[in-house]
Amino acid sequence: MRLLHTADWQIGRQYGRFAPEDAHALAEARFSAVERLARLATEQAVAAVLVAGDVFDAQTVSDRTIRRLFNAMQGFSGPWVMIPGNHDAALAESVWSRAKRLGAVPAHVEVLLEPGVYAFPQAGIAVLAAPLTQRQTSADLTAWFDDAESPEGLLRLGLAHGSVQGQLADDIDSPNPIAAERAARARLHYLALGDWHGLKQIDERTWYSGTPEQERFKNNGAGQALIVAFEKFDHPPRVTAHQVGKFQWHHWQETIRVDSDIDRLIERLEALPSPAVLALDLRGDTDLAGHRRLTQALAEAEARHRSVQYDLSALRLQPTDADIAALDADGYLGDVIDELRAQQSLQDDEASRDALVLLAGLLRERLPQAASHAEESESGLGMSSLAQEDSA
Amino acid sequence: MKLKRIRIEQLRQFQNPLVVDDLQPGINVITGPNESGKSTIASAIRAAFFERHRSSSVSDLQPWGDSSAAPQVMLEFDWQDRHWRLEKRFLGRKRCDLEIAGVHYSGDDAEEQLAELLGFQHPARGASKAEHWGIPGLLWIEQGAGHELRPAVEHAADHLQSALGAGLGEVTSSGGDEIIQAVATQKAVFLTATGKPRGEFAKLPGQIAQQREELAGLEARIASYRQEVDRLSELRKQHAMDAREKPWQMLRQQQQAAEKALANVETLQQAQAVDRQALQSCQNTLVLLREQLEVFQRQQQTLLQRQSAAQHAQETLQALREGETEIDVKHQLAEKNYRQARLIEQQARQQEQLSRLRQELERLSQERVALDDRLEKAYRVQAELLAQRRALPRQRIDEPTLEKLRKQHKQRDDLEIRLQSIATRVQYNILPDQAIELDGQALSMQGEILLLESGEVTIPGVGHLRIIPGGEDIGELSRRQRQLEDVLKALFEQLELTSLEEVERRVEAHQRLDIEIQANERLLSSLAPKGIDLLSQACETCKQQCETLSAQCRSQTALAEQAPSLVDAEAQRTTAEQALKLAEKRQADHQLALNGARRDAANSDVELQRLQAELSAPDRQQRERELSQQLVEQRAEYASLEQRIANRQQRIDAAQPALLQQDVQRFARSAEQLEKAAHDRELALTELHSRLEAHSAEGLEEQRAECLLLCEQLGRRFVEMERRVAALSLLDTLLKEKRHALTQRLQAPLQRHLNHYLALLFPQASLSVDENLIPTQLTRTQTFGMERGTLETLSFGAREQMGLISRLAYADLLREAGRPTLIILDDALVHSDAQRLAQMKRILFDAAERHQVLLFSCHPEDWRDLGVAPRDMQALKAVSDA
Repeated sequence: MRLLHTADWQIGRQYGRFAPEDAHALAEARFSAVERLARLATEQAVAAVLVAGDVFDAQTVSDRTIRRLFNAMQGFSGPWVMIPGNHDAALAESVWSRAKRLGAVPAHVEVLLEPGVYAFPQAGIAVLAAPLTQRQTSADLTAWFDDAESPEGLLRLGLAHGSVQGQLADDIDSPNPIAAERAARARLHYLALGDWHGLKQIDERTWYSGTPEQERFKNNGAGQALIVAFEKFDHPPRVTAHQVGKFQWHHWQETIRVDSDIDRLIERLEALPSPAVLALDLRGDTDLAGHRRLTQALAEAEARHRSVQYDLSALRLQPTDADIAALDADGYLGDVIDELRAQQSLQDDEASRDALVLLAGLLRERLPQAASHAEESESGLGMSSLAQEDSA
Repeated sequence: MKLKRIRIEQLRQFQNPLVVDDLQPGINVITGPNESGKSTIASAIRAAFFERHRSSSVSDLQPWGDSSAAPQVMLEFDWQDRHWRLEKRFLGRKRCDLEIAGVHYSGDDAEEQLAELLGFQHPARGASKAEHWGIPGLLWIEQGAGHELRPAVEHAADHLQSALGAGLGEVTSSGGDEIIQAVATQKAVFLTATGKPRGEFAKLPGQIAQQREELAGLEARIASYRQEVDRLSELRKQHAMDAREKPWQMLRQQQQAAEKALANVETLQQAQAVDRQALQSCQNTLVLLREQLEVFQRQQQTLLQRQSAAQHAQETLQALREGETEIDVKHQLAEKNYRQARLIEQQARQQEQLSRLRQELERLSQERVALDDRLEKAYRVQAELLAQRRALPRQRIDEPTLEKLRKQHKQRDDLEIRLQSIATRVQYNILPDQAIELDGQALSMQGEILLLESGEVTIPGVGHLRIIPGGEDIGELSRRQRQLEDVLKALFEQLELTSLEEVERRVEAHQRLDIEIQANERLLSSLAPKGIDLLSQACETCKQQCETLSAQCRSQTALAEQAPSLVDAEAQRTTAEQALKLAEKRQADHQLALNGARRDAANSDVELQRLQAELSAPDRQQRERELSQQLVEQRAEYASLEQRIANRQQRIDAAQPALLQQDVQRFARSAEQLEKAAHDRELALTELHSRLEAHSAEGLEEQRAECLLLCEQLGRRFVEMERRVAALSLLDTLLKEKRHALTQRLQAPLQRHLNHYLALLFPQASLSVDENLIPTQLTRTQTFGMERGTLETLSFGAREQMGLISRLAYADLLREAGRPTLIILDDALVHSDAQRLAQMKRILFDAAERHQVLLFSCHPEDWRDLGVAPRDMQALKAVSDA
């Protein structure tokens, strides 16, 4: 018998740090992740899907968002068993009460808004649900599991949202505590947890599934869902992680010292499976040729991936004599380049770096063979959006 | 480059060949009058270099009128230790030959060699123009063009640049300006010319602020939404509790218990009220009984009072009666005194009257005497006036009559005098006893007779003697005299007078009378202003009054003789009157008191008798006893009632009905309020719920997320723009700075040469140069300070001087660059004064140390001190011809 454990869908989340179209695509990806979850559930023929809280990112999302979510769940006929988390707590008025008013919650979706034991005999499970009915609570909402009775013959499952005490790092999402040994104490066959966006095992019967679609530059196994398989009731389940997320998020911090560093970086960029969300911080030194290669490679990566954000401001530009010669910068233009180089190395000045790139671009434009590179010299400033707007 | 020899043939005025040789490496001065061919030599040199030998547009070089002539120029010069020989022929036999150190070039090749050497261009077609002349155009100054520098430098720019090496070219040739322009264009997208943000860059901060504001608004709404959700949850909890516990029900029960206790107390209170009523009526009866008994007692006391009052009234009456006689006597006395006083007062009044009458009589008597006197006088004057008036009209002679009379009289007297003087005098002296007669009139003794007409003297005894007066008009005169006498006589008769003296006297008398009459009239009017009759009446009236008064006096004298003065009498009478009034009042008062006392005495008696009768009535004793009995009974009942009420009141007080009342109200109100609160909560719950439903549908947090998204995107875009603007501004500034620095560096050598020459002309002056190496601004130290000005503002002479200095500086620059320099000055510096010219000659001499200079002038005397011998055109021609 198999179950699908997922959590932290965070439907309705927006991504301010991205360009508008990327932000939109990333928000969309959260819906498509639910569709993939439904597909996975069907493929794996699971008895039920357990969603451990934070289905919605906020209480007041638009009606359309609510309807779209439940539509995305059509791919699995159920039951979907879900509890509210801290983001979508079952308050007096909540996203849930609104969804019910709208009539958007389909029959095969069970939203457990009050704590209690819910039996699903057809699925063969009894769910001890600890939904959040406040935004935050300092009490362990699963405490009552220990003494709760559940029907014989059904799998005794815990469903909760919060942070397991003493197990997670300091950057926990909410203070809602859960005792680490809850599964054992409450004789649970499995405790499905949400709130921690990464994939994490607490003990052999207690897991955080993580969010199905990554939304942070954090390499903690996010973007997966868990298939929990029970051979026998008294044996711990076999838990396997399945990739669900569409976009891998990567945050690279690289230092460029020699030309071959750039080669390596370009190779890494080319090897990066698409579509990805990449944030790249570069520091160190490069000459104009290196800079050009880099910006060209980045431009290509931008075209292949969902989002490539890079900050080149810490990357010093050190034009070589060959660079200068190639630019045919004679007379006082050469003086200007020298001056900008000096300023850049003296003060690590962003403006002089930018000015240097700009000047190099303008000079290259003048060269008869370099007309085709005009576009790319613009983007060399790391202002791709601006360049697009300008040309529009 | 050193020009050695020039040969010209068939060129303008030089039909025959002209040779100028032995040209010196420094200055060469060629002089000659106007039209002597100096400029032709300069033109020939230009033509040799600039004009293509094949050019057909050089016919101006031909001598006048000789269209078949073939102008020919031959130049020989040294350059870079090689000998150059150039020979050019135009028009007729077109040819160009150039021999450089034995190597021969001809035609276009030769011309290209020259152009490259000297730095100029040949025209593509037609005659060579200024823009083709390049460096020679700059260094070869034509007549009157020395002050124009800018075009020449511009035409030579390319050659100067190539001559001055790569340095100058860098400024403009490699497209730096293009880059500056490109940067400016990009910068202009973001900033205005004055450096203010524009376009999107200017609008973004506003948009960001607007988004942030919107965001803040959304956040506030979300916060309030969350509070309301919490409140909804709280309300629901309370509502559930209300529904479960219904806390107002217990209060209702408490209210009912309190109401029951209150009802018990109220029953007691009603019984108490009944008893109180009885007590009250009992008390009233008591009061009534006591009052009746008191009435009986009071009647007994009244009887005693009445008896003493009756006695007192009798005593008073008696006393009053005794005093009555004395009061009457006093009254009679007072009356008598009063009558006496009034009599005396009357007498005093009469006395007073009499004395006034007497005074009046005295005054009237005096008036009467005066009036009588005046009347008498008036009569007298009136009589006098009457007499005078009567005398007056009889003697009246009017003035004309008198005058006529006087005139006539005088005429008559005159006539008589004349008659007597002409009349015949008859004087006689007759002896006594003897007598004679004249016209019957006896004459005796002695005498004289005047004869106016003939007379006859009769002398007795002797006869008659006739005497006839002589003279012609004696008769006439006599007649006139008689006529006058008649007139006079008639007048006198009319006046009833005889002589003039009388008349005169009468007139005088008349006047005197007039005066007297006037005096008397005035006297009379003063005596009797209203006429004598009135005066006489007044006299009469006065007389009658006197008589009346004296009669009154006489009649009254008898009445009052001894009376006191009126004032005293009046005082006495007043005193007596008051005394009488007092006495009368006393008498009246006494009478009143007496009557009152009589009435009191009578009343007292009646009252006394009535009371005595009442008291002695038979049923009175019986009634009094009954009343006393009733009183005792009522007292006992009152005491018992009081006891009952006190006992019951204790029970009522113990039950505290006021508190019970309050309890009932308190419990009722509390229950009501609890119910109402529960109801209100229910309403609020419904209201809040529906409101929240509406608010949740707005998707506030999603909106907030979108707003934040936009906010961050705009912010990022602004930062990007800022970065780009900073980079563009930096680049812009840096490009301009470097360009300026380079320009300055390139100008330095030219500047040095310029200042070298300039120092000779204006100590401590400097000439600035623009980026095209054209001198622009002269800065001089004057006595009053620094003076700055562009070359164009200088005088013609000064501009010419600056032009020459600049050209010499260019020449130095070219020489340093290893380029040939030949300076040709055609009639230069003609506008300079002697002092400047002297300085310019020092400059020229200095320049000639490095350059060959050909100087053409028509003023040989100006150039004697250049250390070379001027060469005269005539001499040159002569040598050539020979």
